[in-house]
Amino acid sequence: MNVEISDLTRRFGRTQAVAGVSLETGPGVFGLLGPNGAGKTSLLRMMATVLPPTSGRLRLLGRDPGSFGPRREIRRRLGYLPQSLGYYPGFTVAEFVEYFALLKEMPPGQVPRAVAATLEQVGLGDKARAKLRTLSGGMLRRAGIAQAIVNHPELLLLDEPTAGLDPEQRVAFRALLRDLGQRATVVVSTHLVEDVGAACTEVALMERGKIVFHGTPAELIARGEGTAAAGDAPLERGYSAVLSAARSATPAPAPAPASAPTVAKAPPA
Amino acid sequence: MTAMTAAPARPRAPRAASAAPLTAARLLRIELRRNAMPWVLPLIAALFWFDSYRPSTGQPPFYLLRTFWNMGQGHTIIDFGPFVAGVAAWMGSRDGRRRTRDLVTVVPRARYTAQLATWAATAIWAVGAYLVCVGVMFAVYAHQGVAGEPPWWWVAVGATAVAAFSAAGFAVGVFFSSRFAAPLAAFAGFFAMAESSQTGFRDSGGWALILPTNSNGNFQPDSGIFYRYLPDLPIARLMFLGGIAVAALGLLGLPAWAGGPRLRRAAAVITVAGVAATGTAVGLASTARLSPHGIVIPALHDAASDQPIRYAPVCGRAAGVPVCLNPAYRPYLADVTAALAPALREVSGLPGAPVRVSQVGALYDYSNGVGSEAMTITGHPPLLSLPLGATLGTLPGPTGDPGPDGRHHHRASATGAFDQTLGLLFAHAFVGAGNRAGTPAQQAVQASLMQGMGIPLAAQPSVLNFGPPSWAPAGKSASGPVYVAARRLTALGPAARQAWLATHLTALRSGQLTLGQLP
Repeated sequence: MNVEISDLTRRFGRTQAVAGVSLETGPGVFGLLGPNGAGKTSLLRMMATVLPPTSGRLRLLGRDPGSFGPRREIRRRLGYLPQSLGYYPGFTVAEFVEYFALLKEMPPGQVPRAVAATLEQVGLGDKARAKLRTLSGGMLRRAGIAQAIVNHPELLLLDEPTAGLDPEQRVAFRALLRDLGQRATVVVSTHLVEDVGAACTEVALMERGKIVFHGTPAELIARGEGTAAAGDAPLERGYSAVLSAARSATPAPAPAPASAPTVAKAPPA
Repeated sequence: MTAMTAAPARPRAPRAASAAPLTAARLLRIELRRNAMPWVLPLIAALFWFDSYRPSTGQPPFYLLRTFWNMGQGHTIIDFGPFVAGVAAWMGSRDGRRRTRDLVTVVPRARYTAQLATWAATAIWAVGAYLVCVGVMFAVYAHQGVAGEPPWWWVAVGATAVAAFSAAGFAVGVFFSSRFAAPLAAFAGFFAMAESSQTGFRDSGGWALILPTNSNGNFQPDSGIFYRYLPDLPIARLMFLGGIAVAALGLLGLPAWAGGPRLRRAAAVITVAGVAATGTAVGLASTARLSPHGIVIPALHDAASDQPIRYAPVCGRAAGVPVCLNPAYRPYLADVTAALAPALREVSGLPGAPVRVSQVGALYDYSNGVGSEAMTITGHPPLLSLPLGATLGTLPGPTGDPGPDGRHHHRASATGAFDQTLGLLFAHAFVGAGNRAGTPAQQAVQASLMQGMGIPLAAQPSVLNFGPPSWAPAGKSASGPVYVAARRLTALGPAARQAWLATHLTALRSGQLTLGQLP
């Protein structure tokens, strides 16, 4: 298993963003669905070793990220695209990707070739020398994906990777996801169910910090069949049905935050 | 819970030990290309031109005087420091401002390493620009024929100060990573410089000498001409500024996000070492004392630094007496011989009259100000020692400042003051008044000699203002018993006055004569 999570929680003050999540997954594309504020980003940031869990057990690539040495080894094999991508506007696309390749301790001799190949992969080969400040939102997103995959990660965590991509780019990106999923564990957090249907082999649905569904996309579709759940596509109906069932089973104890806080504590080194 | 089949981890190429320097070099290359510092360098260069270079060209063409204005008083550091601190803070706050903290956190390379690369690029631009500005300035000075040795130690102090500003500013940016970090650091840098300058004006000794803009530790009129710039205080200042830089950079490695436990321990050691160096430097500066060649710090002093600079004098003649100067003063030889000629003619033939004039290195006296060092007449045959550097404020001749026509200005307006100053210093030495006002009889003979040199009695009280206050007789007009006696002596005529002086010079110099004993 590349990801082993058991009873993981994360609190920000009085808000419980992740409330006892258990999950195991290996290579393939894993979709993490859920409404805004469900805890997806917090879970992903814990998996990315940005946030330490409040409690529970987390093992990534067979290692415990709580200790410095293993955490460093995990990070060497990790790719991460945050929900809100920060970037250096003065850097060119190639410099941005090269910068993170070097920080990921790639052998410096391999970096130029890896950068060029990655930019071709995300369709930014012709923009390699363009400054990031000149790129559109979709291109920036692709530059972010490029920095995440430049080191050929074994665990790739993508938070809303298709936000800002046009339909053509989204289709190409799903193909890239399927390709990456052949040899790595790719966890994609999204609220766009069509991405999950097209690219994911496995899917989990989060609500109020808990996983309320875990299965294949086909199983999620099946949950919506024969119900009056809202949605234009089978997956959307399954998504709505699962959410409705979860909400009726456990009424909200307190108003959920509009979105999970992004920074509450200094991240571990 | 569904689990997918786990694939075996792919083998990774082992990381070569040689990869680290190459990686650091590549990071540095990116940071150098995308650093914000070059954007403010034109502004700094313009400030440097108007604040540091341009005003210095009004000084006589000696490296010491030119660079005392812009380096000795810290103008070059003031021009660079606040801007460098501000830009460094801007770079240090980059991850916070650009919301890239998560990205730079989830990499295996310690964030401290990446930060050091960013700082190094910032510092390289800043220090490089400082050295280029100073180098160009020195090249222009050399083209203008500025004499003496350039103060390389001051250059080293300035460059280290710029590095310290960059490190401190960067640390401010890292720990307060908002868009306000840059103006905050720039203002703090400016405030530190202003406070340092004020302390420099106030304190001429003790720990305050460690401040790089404290001019009191930097000025000796003939440094780089008769003797070398003493490195003692610059070494202490290098320790002080280097310690600040090291401590600031060490602080970056202390937080949990900076890196692993070993790296953080190393950062703690670096911080402590920086603080220790800074504290040691302050302690050393408090032991400083003024020597004839500049500021000496006993623990750092090397006696070899006291060795004079060897030179072949350039000589002329004044009233038949050889006048020899350091070759750095060659442009002033004609002015000096012209100024000394009336004085030497006035005492020509007397037993105590100097048979040779030789320039000696001058010593700046912080208590009295420049010009306090008197000429002396010593030895057999008598030799006049001329500390010309003590009269730097009245030196005539070229300033090295090219005018609109491209030709160098000539400080002709100062020639009269220079002649009168040299006349006063000569007469003062001849009557044996030393570095005091002298006895009333000595003052009266001095006044009579100056009258003989062409300096009217009525003008003498203002000439005496060139000397230290203790030289001036009471009153601002040429009246009173001293001037009455001087008029009496002058009325005797040159031959009778010379004859009286030949008889009474020894008693006059020993201070045994009273006004009543004058003819």
